[in-house]
Amino acid sequence: MTASKIDRRTMVKGIAGAAAATAVGSKASSVFAAPAVIQSGPLEITYWTSFQGGANGDAQDELVKRFNESQTDIQVNHEFQGSYEETAQALTAAVQGGSTPDMSLLSDVWWFKFYLSQLLEPLNDYIDNSDLDPADYVDSLWTEGVRQDSQFWIPFARSTPLFYYNVEALDEAGLDASIFGNWDTFVENTEALMVRDGDEVTRYAHGHPNGASYIAWLFQGVIWQYNGKYSDPDFTITIDDEAGVEAGNFYLSSVADGWALATEDHVVDFNTGLFSTIMASTGSMGGIRADATFEWGTAFLPEKYSFGCCTGGSGLSILASADSANKEAAFEFIKFSTSPESTAYWAQTTGYMPVRKSAVDSDEMAAFYEENPQARTAVDQLPKTAPQDSARVFIPNGDQIIGGGLEQITVNQVDAADAFAEVAGILEEEAQPVVEQLQAVEG
Amino acid sequence: MAGSGKSAVATIDGQPIEVATPRRNWNIFSREWVLFILFVGPNLLLFTAFSYWPMIENVRLSTQRWDLLSPVRINVGLDNFRYLVENDTFHKVLWNTLYFTFAAVGLSLALGLMVALLLNQRLRWRNGARAIVFAPFMLSGAAIGIVWAYIFDPRFGLLAEMLGWVGLRSPDWLNRPEWAMPAIIIVYVWKNLGFTTVIFLAGLQSIPQDLYDAAKIDGANVFWRFRSVTLPMLSPIAFFLVVTSILSTFQSFDIINVMTRGGPVDATNTLIYYVYEQGFVAFNAGRSAAAALVLFTMMMVITLIQLRYSESKVHYG
Repeated sequence: MTASKIDRRTMVKGIAGAAAATAVGSKASSVFAAPAVIQSGPLEITYWTSFQGGANGDAQDELVKRFNESQTDIQVNHEFQGSYEETAQALTAAVQGGSTPDMSLLSDVWWFKFYLSQLLEPLNDYIDNSDLDPADYVDSLWTEGVRQDSQFWIPFARSTPLFYYNVEALDEAGLDASIFGNWDTFVENTEALMVRDGDEVTRYAHGHPNGASYIAWLFQGVIWQYNGKYSDPDFTITIDDEAGVEAGNFYLSSVADGWALATEDHVVDFNTGLFSTIMASTGSMGGIRADATFEWGTAFLPEKYSFGCCTGGSGLSILASADSANKEAAFEFIKFSTSPESTAYWAQTTGYMPVRKSAVDSDEMAAFYEENPQARTAVDQLPKTAPQDSARVFIPNGDQIIGGGLEQITVNQVDAADAFAEVAGILEEEAQPVVEQLQAVEG
Repeated sequence: MAGSGKSAVATIDGQPIEVATPRRNWNIFSREWVLFILFVGPNLLLFTAFSYWPMIENVRLSTQRWDLLSPVRINVGLDNFRYLVENDTFHKVLWNTLYFTFAAVGLSLALGLMVALLLNQRLRWRNGARAIVFAPFMLSGAAIGIVWAYIFDPRFGLLAEMLGWVGLRSPDWLNRPEWAMPAIIIVYVWKNLGFTTVIFLAGLQSIPQDLYDAAKIDGANVFWRFRSVTLPMLSPIAFFLVVTSILSTFQSFDIINVMTRGGPVDATNTLIYYVYEQGFVAFNAGRSAAAALVLFTMMMVITLIQLRYSESKVHYG
């Protein structure tokens, strides 16, 4: 660390000298245009990520490696911090300790918290001074990271829920994927998708995750399909409205009627054949591709009264506390990580959404979708998705509070009216400080 | 008086004797103080920086609302405690903590004593068996948690397989609220059995053989020798184990965090996990500090009760 700090200082001096001497124009690459002045090797920046091991971790390693090899001015050191939650916790501790990384991966539910505390760097100037084309990013994903016309969070590992199914289970039942178009037709056929050994169920028609595994994210789409919502944008909580309760009781019936089960890691249980279908992140696709021992397919989320599917996943932010040279360098890495080429590689390897329009339309991706039609479903579904309700993403712990209510329904079989009434009470209380803070920050 | 520097003179039986001067007293006194500070100072400094100051800060934090990030902390008086008193989840957390503590400590001690009695016999491979029993205690709780999560898997786990041999179906250990806590207790007891066994074993070996010989002469059978010699002589050891085990269960976090993350539906959410959850998942530093203070108070009260009990009941050999 000490060594890299010395490097940074020298680097800053070098950059200042280079900028003064060359008086280069406004393009970001100009910052690193004078390596002759720099004597202490590449500028090292620290990037905290939530990806390690497995398909996603390997792809993250590869992206960093490609960036470091693509140029000689910047060395990105990526450090794994655990899950999205653990990364946010580590960053919080780092803020208190005064030793933050230069940039971090932050999930949909966490970047806003750091924004509210004014710890994130607004990126408009970096964008304006670079050749980055915001119009090439998928609009809905790009605008999620904007507050008061400033960009704080750039889409990277963005995902949506997707409906995964075991093709063999469907074939055995003599059914086709059209039953997934609507929850009613799906429920009618659940018995055919189940397998029993005596009175023991060895394959359920559907699997739910638990609270810690983001059930509240997957249920976001379901409550919309029932024409309900968690909350209004102004934090008025509506999860316990009639539509929300109806959606919640649909989940209750799924376990009470015995065709669905909630487990700690429903993706692993899908891979081992316990579930015929699950809803899971597009980001789980790499793992399913690697581990599922059967043929599998993907479909849009089923509809009820309407279609509903939210976005999710994570993006990249730069910490306001970083040195200015490091911020510039971090932005270079963000540009690289979300470039059409990197996006194509990342999306193919992990299953996360391609965040660039030009990547979606590229020949490379077209060829990939030809070979992997399951991944195509996610891209086709993307235009129909919407950003999540404020209660889950903007209230700290909103995800876990809603997830706790859904666990009451799917594990303890509590009626949704009771479970959601309690959840609404907690959300209303927890929303209060956020509303006050938002008022202070945004006026 | 300390600065006079002159020898005082007194007489005994008419003979003058010199008594130590106040100055020399002061020298010794001050030298001892310097030594004391040299020995104790570094520790005291570390304790103040890393234990006492955080404890005082924790008390202050328990009266505030703070999200760990904002530069502003809002004073809320006793609101955080009021929240805990009125909150159903916290009541459940308290119950879980007591359930976990009593079951884990009780089983650890009872099984530890049984295994120690067994390993105290002149058996073949006794030393190897002792090492095997002690080994889990040295392993990391997180690593153990991961392995046991596989063992508990209701479909592919080792335990499901073993239960299958006797025609029983494995419960869905970690996904059912009624089974998750027993699962955590099993893992905790398995991990700590080695510790209680080794300590009991040390206690057993320190009981003088004469007492058993005397009891035999008095006609005491195996049961009465155990009841009247072994148990009373082991009471200080048992007392030590009760104290350390209760304190350790109260602080047992790693296994729960890895295996259940307090779930399902808060079934394994204990006080220490709740402190973490409120602080670092929900970012309610104030509530977390208030819960930590409750935990601290409970541990303090239990320690005081145990100390008092030990003074009157425990036989120190």
